Amino acid sequence: MMALLEIQDLESGYGEVQILWGVNLSLEKGRLTSLVGGNGVGKTTLLRTITGTIKPWRGSVRFNGQEIGHLPAYRKPDLGVVLVPEGRQLFTDMSVRENLEMGATNSRARAHAAQNLERVFGLFPRLKERESQRAGTLSGGEQQMLAVARGLMAEPEVLMFDELYLGLAPVLVLNLFETLQQLKREGLTMLLVEQNVHMALSVSDYAYVMAEGRITLEGPAAEVAQQDEVKKAYLGI
Amino acid sequence: MSDILLPSLVDGLLLGFVYGIAAMGLSLIWGVMDVINLSHGPIIALGMFGIYLIFTNTGLNPYLALFVVALAGLLLGMIIYGVAVHRVIDAPHLSTLLATFSVNMIIIGIGTALLTTTPRNIDFTLGSLSVGPITVPWTRVAAAFATMLVTGLLYLFLYVSRPGKYIRAVANNRVAAELMGIPSARILALSFGLGTMLAAIAGGLIATFFPFTILSGGSYELKSFVICVLGGLGNPLGALFGGLILGGLEGLTPAFMPTTWVPVLEFGLFVLILLVRPSGLLGSKS
Ligand SMILES: Nc1ncnc2c1ncn2[C@@H]1O[C@H](COP(=O)(O)OP(=O)(O)OP(=O)(O)O)[C@@H](O)[C@H]1O
Ligand SMILES: [Mg+2]
Repeated sequence: MMALLEIQDLESGYGEVQILWGVNLSLEKGRLTSLVGGNGVGKTTLLRTITGTIKPWRGSVRFNGQEIGHLPAYRKPDLGVVLVPEGRQLFTDMSVRENLEMGATNSRARAHAAQNLERVFGLFPRLKERESQRAGTLSGGEQQMLAVARGLMAEPEVLMFDELYLGLAPVLVLNLFETLQQLKREGLTMLLVEQNVHMALSVSDYAYVMAEGRITLEGPAAEVAQQDEVKKAYLGI
Repeated sequence: MSDILLPSLVDGLLLGFVYGIAAMGLSLIWGVMDVINLSHGPIIALGMFGIYLIFTNTGLNPYLALFVVALAGLLLGMIIYGVAVHRVIDAPHLSTLLATFSVNMIIIGIGTALLTTTPRNIDFTLGSLSVGPITVPWTRVAAAFATMLVTGLLYLFLYVSRPGKYIRAVANNRVAAELMGIPSARILALSFGLGTMLAAIAGGLIATFFPFTILSGGSYELKSFVICVLGGLGNPLGALFGGLILGGLEGLTPAFMPTTWVPVLEFGLFVLILLVRPSGLLGSKS
């Protein structure tokens, strides 16, 4: 197998404060990988560094073998690296439809925008019903669907989710879980960043555990779930 | 009494349109990037001189010259953004205030040196329109129509065109816009340019009926602040209505008290609204 996204010795932080201390992580093509860890260990910071919202200090981010660490955030969707950010970050003053349009800004996505729109409406029929509603007035669950749908409109090759399940009712969690399975069958490479360790490990193929800005454990998700330290620290067993 | 009141109200309202378009420029920039553009006034004045210089040198119709002035205003704004504003865009408000104030001083300095402060006047008239007791110069009517046209086009641009939607997306959530592939720096420059374009158009329209100097923009900038507070900062249509309210008020006041009281009244209103409804009379962005 070949790694689609390969992160090596990545260091970054905010101002003078270093958060990531040499992170190594790779996403194999077509695989659902999860990254788990407690509060404030640097998961979101890693995603911000990959997308370019903050600059890497050292190390490399390679996509399809090409170094992309130095590229500004707005260039990433063009390549196919897309994030569904923590807290959804929708365009709350714009309509559902416009939010989806804003997902499809890169040239690849624009060429197939009509097709992709049908596809995401197929995945989330609720959004179709609320097409002209202002995104800020959607329910929490609907907003999360819209965030995922907007990410899909970018025609990603790697789709990353930050706290996808946070604050969602069990039914919705199940729905999104099915959506992820479907996307996986379609061959999409995904990274699921979660605090909900049990959920993340049960859906993914491969898992990384992060603590204090470093990867402390990695392996097939089922094996990681069996590790004593994971059981104790995150699964409450 | 009403035979003085009605004409001066109409006069004020027509002028109010132009105030509105000036305020819209200020409001747009604030709405998109939370920057108060203190170079707004001098850019209004540059719009006046733009029309003046084109008209006196080439004889081109001022309304056609307005297209040139609008384009120049757009480009100038984008340059100002790139040179003076972008590097402090994420700094505290004081930095952007100082940056745009510096641009203000630079334009006024150069303008005073090159253009002097002798009042200029465009020797252009379209005659007057008379309806009953009301007689208004056609240039004022034309300015009101131009304002409505520009406002309509602005809304069309913001709600229908792709760059317009990008502007709204960046205004709404800049980090998310960047994550979705929108080059926010370029979009901010464009937004700043549109704001200054509106200021230049306002200046150009004013120049068709009032004499002016390089310092004349200042009073319109101040009026723009009052209007933005009336209409809610960051709300372009609110700016137009705010302009009409202020214009109407200016039209009516002289019937009751000396015109020197107009600014006192305006800024009294300004303070009052800030105290009672800080988000503006006509609401604003949440
Ligand atoms: N914008 C910021 N400026 C300064 N420090 C920050 C910023 N964002 C996060 N941090 C700090 O970086 C550290 C890592 O935060 P990060 O958001 O990456 O954690 P996380 O693993 O995503 O946590 P959570 O699971 O709670 O979302 C924390 O100590 C946090 O306080
Ligand atoms: Mg986080």
